Amino acid sequence: MSGPEDDGFAAFVAARGTSLLRVAYLACGDDREAEDLLQTALERTYRKWDRVRYDNPEPYVRRVIVNTAISRARRRAILRIIPTHTPPELPVRETDVDLRHVLMDALRALPPRQRAVVVLRYWEDLGETQTAEILGCSAGTVKSQASKALTKLRSAIGAQSVEGLIRNVHA
Amino acid sequence: MLEDDLRQVMADETAHLRAAPDLVDRVIRSSRRRRTVRTRYVAVAAAAAVVGITVPAGLILASGPAVVSGPAAEGVAAVVSPDSTGSAVPQPFEPPPLPTPSPTPSPTLDFGDLSDGKAFGRVKVGYLPDGLQWSHRSSDWGDAYTTSWNYDGDKNGFYCVQIFVHEGQALQEARERVQSYRFDSKGRSSRDDSKGEEVTIGDRTGYLITQWVGEDGGKGTPTMFLDMGPERMAEIMLSPVFVKDLGTREAVERELKKIAQGLTATDGDPGTTSEAPAADGGDAGKATEAPAGG
Repeated sequence: MSGPEDDGFAAFVAARGTSLLRVAYLACGDDREAEDLLQTALERTYRKWDRVRYDNPEPYVRRVIVNTAISRARRRAILRIIPTHTPPELPVRETDVDLRHVLMDALRALPPRQRAVVVLRYWEDLGETQTAEILGCSAGTVKSQASKALTKLRSAIGAQSVEGLIRNVHA
Repeated sequence: MLEDDLRQVMADETAHLRAAPDLVDRVIRSSRRRRTVRTRYVAVAAAAAVVGITVPAGLILASGPAVVSGPAAEGVAAVVSPDSTGSAVPQPFEPPPLPTPSPTPSPTLDFGDLSDGKAFGRVKVGYLPDGLQWSHRSSDWGDAYTTSWNYDGDKNGFYCVQIFVHEGQALQEARERVQSYRFDSKGRSSRDDSKGEEVTIGDRTGYLITQWVGEDGGKGTPTMFLDMGPERMAEIMLSPVFVKDLGTREAVERELKKIAQGLTATDGDPGTTSEAPAADGGDAGKATEAPAGG
């Protein structure tokens, strides 16, 4: 790749790197792994930059991040490096930090594809069709996975509604 | 609303994250290093051909023994050639320039219209179960690519058969995954019936297992990992929905083996040829079990 193309790639990373790092973190739930995921995705993008740069490269990087995160999570589940996660016992919620941890733990505990759906739909604000394209599944699958994920999140944080809790802790 | 609160929590949780200032440098350095290794690898074969050195193909394909690196050869690859005494002497050479990228980039990162979808990437599908059509959906990540087939050819429909092909870096990840199936956490061979089994498909080997792929419900995804030579592995998956339609475990395994048998490379990669099985399923018997644990 030549100098000007490197410059274009560098400008893209400078502009979107942090945003993509946040997607990676939400997809995998770990700071270090998020950095590794992002670097892996950007390396692939760099190797294909002569093709990708003519289109909007961000969706491509996002797709690599999410699918790599899912692939790694599957492998880990099989390797049992991470034991089957049990949603945490409901703690006494004294601070907003506790609440945030409960919700983030519940998010991490979702199956990898469901977690990816939540991140893409509610963090990246992508539509069902766009999310389906990234995950290589149908829009109907995205819809059902999102619904199941939200049900699990609601269940994990208890019968009381999240918004009520958040209002309480921020009050 | 839960969705809004999720957004808020996710924003709070990621607010501290910033991309590292040297990220671009690391990415470019790492990519170039990988590309240089690949270029050297090709150059070894080219240089050997130019100077008339007889290097066994297997040696070149195995890469390692043919390339010498060390402090004196930093940035330069070396060819191992026999000297007059028959011992190996490193001969430095300049790697050829990198190929010029195509001036007409493809705007899409899928394969476009594949007709019946049977030829995609660098492989060709010789057999599919009756009644399936190409889903019109494919993805191409460069060193990994995939497409699928279902009943109605609907892009938004559920898949019945999906094939992933892993090459390059993706191949390593796929092999690690298969190894994790083969051995338990203590490194012992997994002979439990619930685990996978080694199979041979014609002159190739494969690993048959039901994967848990993270979705809720269903009884998993029956999958055949097919070794397609040193540079490629195919992952053939049957969806849990399609498995129900097939009925029995025997039928599922038979179909997976037949699809694997018919899957061939289109780039002439060695060790990747096989015959397309007959549509009546008579060839499934060619796929025989091998001792587990390899």
